[in-house]
Amino acid sequence: MLRLERVSAEIEGVVVVRDASLDIASGATVALIGRNGAGKTSLQRLIMGALKPRSGRLSFDGHDLAGMPAHRRPFLGIGYAPEDRRLYGSFTLEENLRFPGEVMRLSAAELSRRLDLVYAVLPELRDMRERLAAGLSGGQGKMVALGRALVAGTRLILLDEPFQGLAPVLAQRYGAALRGLRQADRDIALLIAESNPALLSFADESYLIERGEVSRHGTPRAPISWA
Amino acid sequence: MISIQTVLLAALDGLSYGAQVFMVAVGLSLIFGVLRIVNVAHGSFYAIGAYVAASFGLFIAAAGWSPWLTYPAMALSACLVGIVVGGTLEVALLRRIYGKEQVLQLLVTFAVFMILEDMQKAVWGVRPYFIDAPLGLLGTVNILGINYSIYQLVVVPLFAVVMLVSLRYVLRHTRLGRIVTAVTDDREAAAAMGVDATRVYLLTFMIGASIAAFGGALASGATSLVPGMGAGMTILSFAVAATAGLGRIEGAAVAALMIGLGRSLAVYMAPEFDVLVPYLIMFLVLLFKPQGLFSVQQTRKV
Repeated sequence: MLRLERVSAEIEGVVVVRDASLDIASGATVALIGRNGAGKTSLQRLIMGALKPRSGRLSFDGHDLAGMPAHRRPFLGIGYAPEDRRLYGSFTLEENLRFPGEVMRLSAAELSRRLDLVYAVLPELRDMRERLAAGLSGGQGKMVALGRALVAGTRLILLDEPFQGLAPVLAQRYGAALRGLRQADRDIALLIAESNPALLSFADESYLIERGEVSRHGTPRAPISWA
Repeated sequence: MISIQTVLLAALDGLSYGAQVFMVAVGLSLIFGVLRIVNVAHGSFYAIGAYVAASFGLFIAAAGWSPWLTYPAMALSACLVGIVVGGTLEVALLRRIYGKEQVLQLLVTFAVFMILEDMQKAVWGVRPYFIDAPLGLLGTVNILGINYSIYQLVVVPLFAVVMLVSLRYVLRHTRLGRIVTAVTDDREAAAAMGVDATRVYLLTFMIGASIAAFGGALASGATSLVPGMGAGMTILSFAVAATAGLGRIEGAAVAALMIGLGRSLAVYMAPEFDVLVPYLIMFLVLLFKPQGLFSVQQTRKV
C-alpha cells in the first residue's frame, strides 16, 4: 500500500533521510525504531508531504506521493499524529476531532461513523468532548491527536513518538487503545515511530532508522544491535 | 482652558478615526496570523480603496445618478481593490517569500508600498479628493451644542462594529473560520488535516486587503484624500496591532479606539504631540504587557 523506494531528503543541505526503502501493507502494524535525531520525524514528514524528497519514489496505492500537494493525504486515507500533538487550543476536543472531516467535507453519516470508531477506541474522550483543547493535559492531548488522525485517515495512520512524555499509566492506556484499534479495524495500517522498542512489542514488523538510513529488522522483539 | 465641547469633539473624531484604523489593523493582524508576513504595504489598500471609492462617487455624481449609490459603490470598491490588487500581489509576489527571512519580507513589501504609492500619484494626481455625497445625505446632529455629521458619528463606527462582529462570527462558528484559525496555529498540521494552505493564504490576503480598502472607502466620505494617507495608516495600524497583540480581533478594536481617541485628543489639545501619542500608548501598554493587551492562550505542551 505505502511504498518508499530509495528515498532521500535533506533539510537546509543536511541529509536527513538517505536511500530509505519501506513497504507497508494494509492491516500491518509497523514500528519505526530509532534514537532521537535518527530521522524518524523526517521520514514521516516526507510521507506527509511536509518535506520534499530529493530523490527516490514514494507511492500510496500506486499514486505518486512526491508530486502530490501535502493536503491531499487525508483524501487518500492517510492520517498523522505529530509528536508535539499540535491540537488547536481554541477548539474544543470534539471540534479538533471533527476538523479533518469538516475540511474534507465528509458527509454527516461518514463523519459520525469515524467519530464512533474514535470514541470506541478512546472512550475517555467522550466525557471531555466539550473541553477546550488548550486545557487538556499532555497525555489527554496525545489521545486527541490519535483520534484526530483516525478521523483524517482511514487506511494508514502515522504516529510520531506517541508514548513520549506519557506517565507509565497513560502509556499503558495508550498502548491498550492502539491494540483496541487493531481489533476494531483490521485493515488500517499503522506506522509508529518510537525510540524505545519495548513499547512496540505488539507490532508485526519493524524498521530501524539510524542517521537517516532505514533497514528492515523483523519483529520489534528481536534484539537490536546498533552499529 | 479646554472646554467640554473640545473634549467631546475630540472624542467624536477619535471614534470615527479609530474605526478606520481598526479596519486596517484587523486586516493586517489577520494576514500576519495566517501568512506570517508583516505587510508594510497594507496601508496602501486603505488609500487605494479610498481613491477608488472617491472615483466611483465622482462618476455617480457626474452621471446624475442617486447619491445613495455611493454606499454600495464603497463596498464594491473595497472588494475590487482586495481581489484585484490584493490577489495579484499575493499570487505574483508574496507567494515567493513565505518562510523566507523577515528582512527580505520587509524589503519586498516595502518596495510594494513605494510602487503602490507612486501608482496612486500617477493615477489620481496629488490634488486632494473629496466626495460629499455620503456625508451630505445624512446631515448633522446636534450634541451639546456641537453640530456633528451623522456619517462620521454613526455610519463609520457602525460599519467597524459590523466588521468586528462578522469577523468574530466567521472565525469562531464557520468552517472557513476554523480553517483560518487552524492555519494560523500551525500550517503543517493543517495540511495534514486536508487544508490547502495556498488557497487559504490567497483568500485571507484578499479578505484582509478588502477590509482595509473598505476602511479607506469609508474615509473617502469623511476626509479629503491626499498622497501619503496610506503611509500614515500603515504606521498607525502597526501600532494598533502591536498594542493589541497580533491575531486578536477584539484587541485590535480596543487598541484602535484607544489610539484613535488618544490621537484626536492630542490634535485638539496639544497638536505638537499628535504624532507621538499613538506610540506613547503603545509604549505604555507594551511596558506592562509585552505580548500585547490580549495575548493568545497557548496550548499546553506538557
